[in-house]
Amino acid sequence: MRHLDPDRLVLLALSDEPRDPGESEHLAGCADCRHELDAFRGVAGLGSEAQDLRDLPPPPEHVWRAIEAGIVSPVRARTRRRRPRWVTTAVIAAAAAVVAVAGTVVVERVVDRSAAEQVTARATLKPLATVPADAGGSVRVLADGKMSIDVRNLPLTTGFHEVWLIDPDDLSRMVALGSLTDRPDAVLPVPPGTDLNRYRLVDISDEPHDGDAAHSGRSLLRGTLTS
Amino acid sequence: MNSDDELAERLRDGDEKALRTAYERHGAAVLYLAQRLLGNRADAEDVTQVTFVAAWTGRDGFDPQRGTMLGWLLGIARRKAVDRLRSAARDTRVTESVRAQLAPPDGLETPERVVDRLVVADELGRLPEEQRRTLELAFFDDLTHHQIATVTGLPLGTVKSHIRRGMANLRRRWEVDGAASGSRSAGPTRAL
Repeated sequence: MRHLDPDRLVLLALSDEPRDPGESEHLAGCADCRHELDAFRGVAGLGSEAQDLRDLPPPPEHVWRAIEAGIVSPVRARTRRRRPRWVTTAVIAAAAAVVAVAGTVVVERVVDRSAAEQVTARATLKPLATVPADAGGSVRVLADGKMSIDVRNLPLTTGFHEVWLIDPDDLSRMVALGSLTDRPDAVLPVPPGTDLNRYRLVDISDEPHDGDAAHSGRSLLRGTLTS
Repeated sequence: MNSDDELAERLRDGDEKALRTAYERHGAAVLYLAQRLLGNRADAEDVTQVTFVAAWTGRDGFDPQRGTMLGWLLGIARRKAVDRLRSAARDTRVTESVRAQLAPPDGLETPERVVDRLVVADELGRLPEEQRRTLELAFFDDLTHHQIATVTGLPLGTVKSHIRRGMANLRRRWEVDGAASGSRSAGPTRAL
């Protein structure tokens, strides 16, 4: 017995081809050909339901940011020992700058309110999965190049909390801005020339007092700067 | 960079940009599957996140020889979504309702069916332009081959040939990547 041609079965599966009597007779007696026909009918059924799936909306950016947060630590752990020395210097410089800035914050806020109000970019900080959900914060980059950071309910640490700007396209690239004090708000200078379109992921980490200037890999809050 | 092979290679090398590319290409399908299975957006987004993080962690396990990246991701997402349904049920100690959720009542799709639809839709989008257009007219607009020939101006023989080849491509992809592909071991065809 000759089986039906596979090409013919495809056309029959789409059902607008009339079957000739020989074909009907063969199908009635041949399980293999019936099986093939059913398989193509299945494909046609799935295909006709594909219309709704053609224009799915693009997946949301905030889910991507959560994915980034989920994959960052191992990458960071691998790269932390390869940190160039200048970064350490930068962190120390930034820390020194914090001390200097802290003394001027109040004055600036009172006297130069208009400059402080000019926000060029902002971010909402969300807790990572391991951090209590009520932790959070917000970040504003001001027109004068400083970054104002407000945080709440950060987990207590025996070390300190440090602020970073990370390149989400290459998570081993980051700029240390400085550490947070006990106050809920802080203003840190962004190093002049820092490309905030690239280093747009704001990260607050828990750093031990281990003398290692590299990121500890323990991120607490994250948020992406948008202008 | 176009092929899954290249993307897989970059992913295995630990290139985060490859994961981003995978998210841009397939994140919508993963989210769609999760939402169909879990029924709410927040859980679906969680499962999407967990799926891509798991894909990153388990990137050495993706073998382009055994299926496409979409099929692999949908497989992970389906397991994560089912895990979530099960653990939700454990929490509330209502195993009966879970069983009901895992075997949806009449009118709802099974996880397998949703995966199959996504895989076939993806393959349809990858077909050569004329093949795809011809099949879309047959599937979506329910046109006969003669009507398709009239609409497109293609000779009837060409229309039939596009449909044959297109259907063969969709079937092959379904067999490689469809929900039953993991459990099927014998023969190239599948029972329905």
